[in-house]
Amino acid sequence: MTMTMTIDEDRLSETFAALANSTRRAILARLAEGAATVNELAEPFEVTLPAISKHIKVLERAGLVVRGQRAQYRPCAIDAGPLEEVSTWAEQYRAVWEARFDRMDDYLIQLQPERKTRRTR
Amino acid sequence: MTDNSGSQDAVIIERSFDAPVGLIWQMWTDPEHFAAWYGPDGASISIAKMDVRVGGTRLVCVQMQTPNGPMQMWFTGEYREVVPNERLVYTESMSDENGQVVTGLPEGHPTTTEVRVELEDVGGRTMMVMTHAGIPGDSPGAAGWAMALDKLAIHVDQMTADQN
Repeated sequence: MTMTMTIDEDRLSETFAALANSTRRAILARLAEGAATVNELAEPFEVTLPAISKHIKVLERAGLVVRGQRAQYRPCAIDAGPLEEVSTWAEQYRAVWEARFDRMDDYLIQLQPERKTRRTR
Repeated sequence: MTDNSGSQDAVIIERSFDAPVGLIWQMWTDPEHFAAWYGPDGASISIAKMDVRVGGTRLVCVQMQTPNGPMQMWFTGEYREVVPNERLVYTESMSDENGQVVTGLPEGHPTTTEVRVELEDVGGRTMMVMTHAGIPGDSPGAAGWAMALDKLAIHVDQMTADQN
């Protein structure tokens, strides 16, 4: 598997946030069986249609769900792309940690103004 | 994405800091210092619990501004090894604000990961080795989700094939 090195922490957070909800995971599991309309997706849940629409919007923003352009049905389908990105979590975290340690370095310089040497890796 | 290698992945980062080892230790164990660098950029970190002793609990909130308002993410864990100025090992899991672990992360992302920090004094500077590793098999909710994802992958392949 080729791994993209353009890593986006916000994107990763958004994917996790979208997945950190049992209704949304159930929606994805349902969509894994095939595309469905909002009405079909709402059926198994005891929540209102607007509530389901809201969940779908969150999944759409996270790039996990795409919606068709066909008039009133606009069926929802799953997009596994972000999930594949997330699955390479360790490589994603490398950039996250490097950024953290850059900030630690800057913070240490603030805390110890008497030390003038620049950072080294 | 069909094999399970993702959960055995680890990130190892070695950095040298121009600061004494005691200060680097505080970066990890003092809530105020930890919040100052942990990030990400633009996020605010609050520490609900940071009980730095073996078996002690940590609970950290990361709050970010999104176009839809503030978003909070919580992370919990337990300290496993605490050797001041030398070694700190703690676990990390996504959780809710009460420290209840969120299960069912995507396949390849372990529910619990482990962060290991090793420090060494090198003439007044500090050499730090950080290892962030998945804990394989330590994810009660993962199996069901992995099955759903396997199914998903097959369907996505089929859908793509149908379109072509």
